[in-house]
Amino acid sequence: MPTLKIDNREINVPAGTKVIEAAERLGIMIPRFCFHPALGSVGACRVCAVAFTEGPVKGIQMSCMIDAQDGMVVSTTDAEAVDFRRHVIEFLMLNHPHDCPVCDEGGHCLLQDLTVAGGHGLRRYRGLKRTHINQDLGPLVQHEMNRCIQCYRCSRYYQEFTGYRDLGVMGIGSRVYFGRSAPGMLESPFAGNLIDICPTGVYTDKPSRYIGRRWDYQRQPSLCIHCSLGCNLTASARYRQVVRHEARPNLEVNGHFICDRGRYGYAYASIADRPRQAMAAGTPGPIVDILAGAREAIQQTVEKHGPGSVAVVVSPRSSLETLAVVKEACGQHGWTGPAAAHTNRQALNRNTAVSCLRPELAVSLAADTEAHDVLVIGADPLNEAPMLALSLRQVQRRGGHVIVIDPRGVQLPFDFDHWAVHPSAMGAILQALIQEIGGHRATAPDTPATFDITKLARRLNASPRPVVVCGTDILTPHEIALAGDLARALRRTHKVAGLFYTLAGANAFAAALLHDQPVSTEAVLDRIEDGGVRLLVAVEQDLWREFPDRKRLQAALKRLDHLVVLDYVDSPLNREAGHFIPTQPLYESGGHWINQEGRLQAASPVMAGGEPIEITGGSDHPPRVFDRRIPGDEPLAAWRAVAALAGEDEADPAPQLKTALADFHPAVNLSTPEATGQRIDLEAIAHDLVESGPAPEPAEDDAPADAVVLLLVDWTFGTEPLSAMAPALTRMEAAPVARLHPDEIARLGLAEGRPVTVSLNGNRLTVPVQADPRMAAGVMAVPRHHLLEWQVFGETRVIVKRSQLKAESE
Amino acid sequence: MLPEKLKSELTAQIARVDHPREMAIDVINALQDHYGYFSDEALAQAADLLGMSPLELDELATFYTFIYREPVGKHVIHVCDSLICWMEGDENLVAHLCDRLGIQMGGTTADGLFTLLPVCCIGYCDRAPAILVDRQVHGPLTIDALDRLIDTLRENHS
Ligand code: SF4
Ligand code: SF4
Ligand code: FES
Repeated sequence: MPTLKIDNREINVPAGTKVIEAAERLGIMIPRFCFHPALGSVGACRVCAVAFTEGPVKGIQMSCMIDAQDGMVVSTTDAEAVDFRRHVIEFLMLNHPHDCPVCDEGGHCLLQDLTVAGGHGLRRYRGLKRTHINQDLGPLVQHEMNRCIQCYRCSRYYQEFTGYRDLGVMGIGSRVYFGRSAPGMLESPFAGNLIDICPTGVYTDKPSRYIGRRWDYQRQPSLCIHCSLGCNLTASARYRQVVRHEARPNLEVNGHFICDRGRYGYAYASIADRPRQAMAAGTPGPIVDILAGAREAIQQTVEKHGPGSVAVVVSPRSSLETLAVVKEACGQHGWTGPAAAHTNRQALNRNTAVSCLRPELAVSLAADTEAHDVLVIGADPLNEAPMLALSLRQVQRRGGHVIVIDPRGVQLPFDFDHWAVHPSAMGAILQALIQEIGGHRATAPDTPATFDITKLARRLNASPRPVVVCGTDILTPHEIALAGDLARALRRTHKVAGLFYTLAGANAFAAALLHDQPVSTEAVLDRIEDGGVRLLVAVEQDLWREFPDRKRLQAALKRLDHLVVLDYVDSPLNREAGHFIPTQPLYESGGHWINQEGRLQAASPVMAGGEPIEITGGSDHPPRVFDRRIPGDEPLAAWRAVAALAGEDEADPAPQLKTALADFHPAVNLSTPEATGQRIDLEAIAHDLVESGPAPEPAEDDAPADAVVLLLVDWTFGTEPLSAMAPALTRMEAAPVARLHPDEIARLGLAEGRPVTVSLNGNRLTVPVQADPRMAAGVMAVPRHHLLEWQVFGETRVIVKRSQLKAESE
Repeated sequence: MLPEKLKSELTAQIARVDHPREMAIDVINALQDHYGYFSDEALAQAADLLGMSPLELDELATFYTFIYREPVGKHVIHVCDSLICWMEGDENLVAHLCDRLGIQMGGTTADGLFTLLPVCCIGYCDRAPAILVDRQVHGPLTIDALDRLIDTLRENHS
């Protein structure tokens, strides 16, 4: 732990810390362009020069290149160093256009700040500037190459950090050009971070062009709710419209970056068809009246059919506040539910994962990058939890090793081993692995010899830091529990072995804490069908888009006496509702979410609700009528609406929320502000919920030889319901296809490029076939794409017989 | 289209090394010799052969002075603009060449015979001012010697 002196102040830092970082710890921000904590040092820009006056290093040196050492005396204010930096900045500004007034970076530009801070106020250079032709980089990132100061952050980030190879640096000397070989859409789903990382305005946010300056925006710390990782971001709003997301560094979660699904998925909050009007049977009315009407309908149903005849479904994306109030209401009144998963399998998957995540095993997304060997089971990181793929890439960059056991044609932006095994073989492989790790010779399951379980077990056993990553989308509870057992088995031979689950929904972890025995929408529909449930309250749960059997849903809704819907997205479901109550997205309500590793995080409200001025003014000046109210300000935070439905009268719901949160679960403690940002008390979660034990009765898993397993899966873009509404992301989506191994296509008599129709129990799904040689045999993967009516089979994992597949001629 | 023979030769060469990208410059040169310059088509073919992205090859190709990403004339004249040649009066040579050929630095004559390009040091400081024509060094040059060189090259083509 070297001790050094910077500007007369002493500091002690871990060995390997650069002087620039040591200074930062003291609150001294040495200028920098090329240095970035996530990318490390290259010493390319020369603007971080400081004077070393005593100790092992002497003279003017780059503070980003020199390790802090004992006895160093550093001056950042030394006259020669200041002069050096001033000249570097003047040099970097030679070619820089004087376009700050029209530059989208203006106001939050590092170059602008350092030019002013460096004292370069007058331009001496009178010559011509070099100019470049900009490229169209797709719908997300705007390119303006003339502003480049050649710091190389972008090419290093894009190629080294994210592993994509379509953006980089071309040319030499004064002609260096950062961009693509030819104009075109950036291939990396992490491309948006270029905007944050470029110290000047070369890459700027395209969808928010011409909307405002950063200082015009209402900006608040927020969270991404487009997958379960809970990446941190800063949300900006202007004129009642969410206009931009930026990555918010959190070194325990997402590091410095976010994915493009998270960065651009916000449009649903301000979209023109967002419902803002409370309705009773399609007739608009004041929200208090509608709430009273819904409350009355609930009371009548309870009087007639008992409390259990009222059921509640809630979204695993809803805030902790909403989940807590819903739970409290159900508990108090004896209503059925709340259900916060669609199918029994999904509900059990989620709860199994949460109950297996013991405190000594849990690792964060950031800690994942420090793993030496990662075994990924039944997860497709890039498609299900994109930032996980970026974390795993850092494992590989540090010399670690990633093995993926998954039937899908998993792709990752780095070299990894893929065992494409049939879903029915996953359990046996895991069991064999556990045995081998425990030192017992396992009988090899029926898998290709290339998948050497003994070798893998040896590798994991020898690894100084193994981590097991497990998905919960395509697997069954049995395998999810086995993944936990595997991590525990490793733990016995290691001090550090980690376990990392991905879940379905940003607050799925909290949803798992609703009950010990999870309730699913499927189970609620059973009760509707047998007449037990007569009134359904759907809280931010768009069953129309998300429940995997639309026909069944529709029939069940018809059987209901009454449907109450609370939501912030437009859906045919809302129009079926006897009472519809508009709610607020997180930008208006704020709230808490628990990510998949059990970390409790908070999002602040960014703005008050209301119809965006863009809409009320018809893209022109806002209407010149004056009113005390903001148009479209009726939506309530869902927890308030639920409290109003459950309460006796219209009392202030705040105390109700307080009790609900306090009663929510012993593992979740919101009473101290320090709890936010930390992992909840996993110890307080019942870990005996699910017994992994021996394999359950092989039901559907034992796929007959003439069948395939159809998996309805997540894709980076186009499947997550909220982000799929973002116009900026439309061009990023691939068209939905059914992916199969080429041999499987031949075996089933299908043809690549031609549609296949799957008919099951009178329901049909038609989708074009695409060959993917990385897929396991006997598996067909179809995205839950918003352009596809995939909600037909009641599950997202089903067995399809050969006779149920038909090749279409066109 | 790449002739099958060239393609299979290159494929064989690539197969002999541990990492295909070791062969990137050789492949670029071979394709440039074939097409006369390293065209977009050649770029795509090289990327295919080497399993690299077009951008990665473009990064290399645009770094090097002797890889031409645009069509060039029959003879490429590289004039050294480094320090020693500059001290020995390379600016006069350049002015004269531009005048004689009727093109600017970077241009190609209308008859497609000559392209004029700068190069930063060819390592012939002892023969400054020096130029490189068709990979042949000429220097130290006078205006007269330069004229004679251009005349000879022209005559060879008439
Ligand atoms: S484009 Fe931006 S990030 Fe890339 S080198 Fe230029 S200034 Fe740096
Ligand atoms: S990885 Fe998930 S949580 Fe993170 S930004 Fe992307 S969608 Fe959002
Ligand atoms: S920040 Fe140190 S050289 Fe660029």
